[in-house]
Amino acid sequence: MPIELLRRGLLDRRRALIAWSLGVSAYVLLIAAIFPSIESSKELDRLVESYPDALKSLFGIGAGSLTSGPGFLDAELFSFMLPLFVLVLAIGSGARTLAGEEDAGRLELLLAYPVRRSRAVLAKAVGVAVEVALVCTTILVVLAVLDPLFGLDVASGRLAAAVAGLAVIGILHGWLAVGVGAAMASRTLALGVPAALAAGGYLIGGLHALANWLDPFRFLSAFWWVGSSPLQNGVREWGILVVAAAALAALAGAMLLFERRDLKVP
Amino acid sequence: MPAEPSSVAAAIETSGLSKTYRGGIAALVDLHLRVERGEIFGFLGPNGAGKSTTIRLLLDLIRPTAGRAVVLGLDSRRDGVAARRQMGYLPGDLRLADRLTAREQLDSLIRLRDSTAPLRGPLCERLELVLDRPIRELSRGNRQKIGIVQAFMHRPALVVLDEPTSGLDPLLQAEVRTLLRETAADGRTVFLSSHSLDEVQHTADRVGIIRAGRLIDIDRVETLRERARRHVSIAFGDRVDPSEFSALDGVSVEQTNDNLVRLSASESAMDAVVKAAARHQVVDLVSEPADLEEIFLELYREADDAN
Repeated sequence: MPIELLRRGLLDRRRALIAWSLGVSAYVLLIAAIFPSIESSKELDRLVESYPDALKSLFGIGAGSLTSGPGFLDAELFSFMLPLFVLVLAIGSGARTLAGEEDAGRLELLLAYPVRRSRAVLAKAVGVAVEVALVCTTILVVLAVLDPLFGLDVASGRLAAAVAGLAVIGILHGWLAVGVGAAMASRTLALGVPAALAAGGYLIGGLHALANWLDPFRFLSAFWWVGSSPLQNGVREWGILVVAAAALAALAGAMLLFERRDLKVP
Repeated sequence: MPAEPSSVAAAIETSGLSKTYRGGIAALVDLHLRVERGEIFGFLGPNGAGKSTTIRLLLDLIRPTAGRAVVLGLDSRRDGVAARRQMGYLPGDLRLADRLTAREQLDSLIRLRDSTAPLRGPLCERLELVLDRPIRELSRGNRQKIGIVQAFMHRPALVVLDEPTSGLDPLLQAEVRTLLRETAADGRTVFLSSHSLDEVQHTADRVGIIRAGRLIDIDRVETLRERARRHVSIAFGDRVDPSEFSALDGVSVEQTNDNLVRLSASESAMDAVVKAAARHQVVDLVSEPADLEEIFLELYREADDAN
């Protein structure tokens, strides 16, 4: 693998990564800081109880309660905002690193160097995974630090597993973006296809239990495989493996497809 | 193809190399070309003739629809990485990492190549490269210099240059020509494309002319220059009988207008033209080289006549 492509790619992204980490940390801090005032208001649980099932299902308000730390963080962070953050980062990065560079005409010179195409894709994909891992690690560390401060009372094993689920979903969609770029050199499609798949997967994962006709498609949702409300219910460990396997398949496809086609040149 | 040791094989050898793009556009048709080691080969043609397509096939950036290319004894597809290890390339439309400085860009490229760059320092000095400003702030000429340095810095056995002197001022163009000659003198090979005969005639040993995807002629540069007719305009002090010139071998008078005679002449006829003109009072004499398009037309005419 051409380490220089990975190294240069991450160096170019260092400012963006710092900004992402700070932004996510600030958001997590804000949410965690609200918890002590929610915890004491038992009326909230009664209010939420009256919400339509679809809404509760989508936002990870399940059997648990909003007034417990894990229930609160599941609903406020892990059901929607954190996946959104990580997916935007991963898909954006995956589309930029290959399709974006090719669109900008910058791959012509690099691929005229003694670099095998599949290895170049590998280096780019590893870069995406590192970005996702860095931001997810930040989330993990911030939540672990905030837990005792705000009395969140989240089991550390559950937290680590939840963040791992987040990371693996991010990497899958980031690598799909790399794969689409490897197949057809269009940044628009490299952004759009994984984003559409993520949105579809999210809806299926959230609603399949309520909409019978969606139920057979649940296997297509990375969110279903990892499981909802991870801090309350835990994640499916083997589900994480399935999503990781899908990510590896997307990467393998990307490496093969990029070897086969003509480079798009300015 | 017999496996020739890569040290003695031709620098470039293509057989039946063809590229048809989706939509049926034949960008390159059945190219048979052999470029020897130590040669400076000029690849000439108008824009869109297939020059860049050929170069990208040699570098395995795009894939042939038929035929093959062997570069330094290595198949451009199967052994592309090994071939590119010994090649340097300057793209026609160079896109660099705009946020980096030239120094960072060259550092990065050298690491990517995983080799040493013995010529980097001397080249940066010769071309007076601006090393420590972000590339996005540099002029087109200064960016082009970075491209030239990266193509030559690792002492490649084959340098492939797509329109190398575009954007460079005349002094730097001359410097690049010197660089090409030094490279060839070192036993290494230069393959450069251009749409201007003027750009290659001072450096190239041989020239291939490509038009609409087909190689229509390969010639030594001297031969081509002889064949290229010059356009000569002579302003005289008095009226002059144009038949004095049209009677000369290899000369045809195109236009006479009072004291002005415009004619076209082959290189070998120039001496006679000047001597004939010298019998009169000459006010001005302008000689322009024929442009490439005219040479093409002439080549086509010859091809038609042969049929």
